Amino acid sequence: MLVTETALHLGPELERAVNRMDFFRLFKSLAGTHGFSYFGVTEIVGEEHGLNFQSVHALHNFPGVWFADPKNLAIGVADPVVKYLQKASAPCAIDMRQDPSEVLLSSGDDLAVIVPLHAATGKRHGLIMVGGDVTVVDHHALALIALDAALIFQRYFEVILSLESISGLNDREIQIVRWTSEGKTSAEIAIILGLSEHTVNSYIAAMLRKLHVVNRAQMVASAIRSGLIT
Amino acid sequence: MSLRAEVRQTRILLVDDDPAEQVLLARQLKGVEEPSTELEYVGDIDGAVEIVKAGGIDIVFLDNRLVPNNDFRETAPLLRQAGFIGPIGIISSDISGSYFQEFSDYGVDFKIGKDEIDGTVISFIIAEYMRDQLSETCSEDYL
Repeated sequence: MLVTETALHLGPELERAVNRMDFFRLFKSLAGTHGFSYFGVTEIVGEEHGLNFQSVHALHNFPGVWFADPKNLAIGVADPVVKYLQKASAPCAIDMRQDPSEVLLSSGDDLAVIVPLHAATGKRHGLIMVGGDVTVVDHHALALIALDAALIFQRYFEVILSLESISGLNDREIQIVRWTSEGKTSAEIAIILGLSEHTVNSYIAAMLRKLHVVNRAQMVASAIRSGLIT
Repeated sequence: MSLRAEVRQTRILLVDDDPAEQVLLARQLKGVEEPSTELEYVGDIDGAVEIVKAGGIDIVFLDNRLVPNNDFRETAPLLRQAGFIGPIGIISSDISGSYFQEFSDYGVDFKIGKDEIDGTVISFIIAEYMRDQLSETCSEDYL
């Protein structure tokens, strides 16, 4: 299988990735480079749970119509893909004619590639790639997919998933918590700082995780107690 | 997690000096699942400012280089100065320039290559940028 050197996920975009959109692009590039049309990455929560692609940390381009409930993008715990991810630490290609996956068979393809991914903290995630014109994935291609997936996931963990372990706020976050302490709404802060409301809320969501708090009032109180704002 | 777009169409404004891009994006939007989308098009930044001032635009796709302006570092702040607080995505046939790294400093939410855009990407963008990111316990609790 030809893997060009110019594939997006193999170039500088990996180091430049800063938000979930960038990581969506990288994983999509990985899937597309290997002939797959669809991908999904999400956390493996436990043996009693299936895969939830509605999670805030999930990334995927699976069509909603594949799922029994398009508002609840889940793959059940009995699905062979979920069973594999729960027990495996190595990548594999699954022939869905032998082990039918109720959700993924909607792709119209018989082959799915499953890659277990592991964060430094021990949290487990899984990458699924399906659809497209792929009929066979040999050992070499599977190894390349697993390596590239691990590199992208490592960066995704560093930039997005590991916020709880980061202490301190950056300059933009301090600006936002300061304006929040002045009673400004997200929309008002967006206008003041020339950002989108989505970006302001992203910073607030990141600060809630960094400061281990649950609402804006607690965020401001925590920032004052920590001396981050006066 | 609720989607604001559930209650009405998502209105996307494409700002691009090449009218052919409107045709291409309209074609990609046909591949988008729910919610339904409505595409508006304008060829220059002055027209875009007027449209966002009028209200009702949910997302802006902004071409990186709009003749006679320079790149997004000149044009995106004009939309913010007009009071637009929705997401702005920079689209370009080449996003390899290192200056794209500075996009967040200019009020831009994301960047994407034109050759990367398809129905699943647009679906992701809508889901990502139209969702409520904060839980109910973190709503505007002083309003």
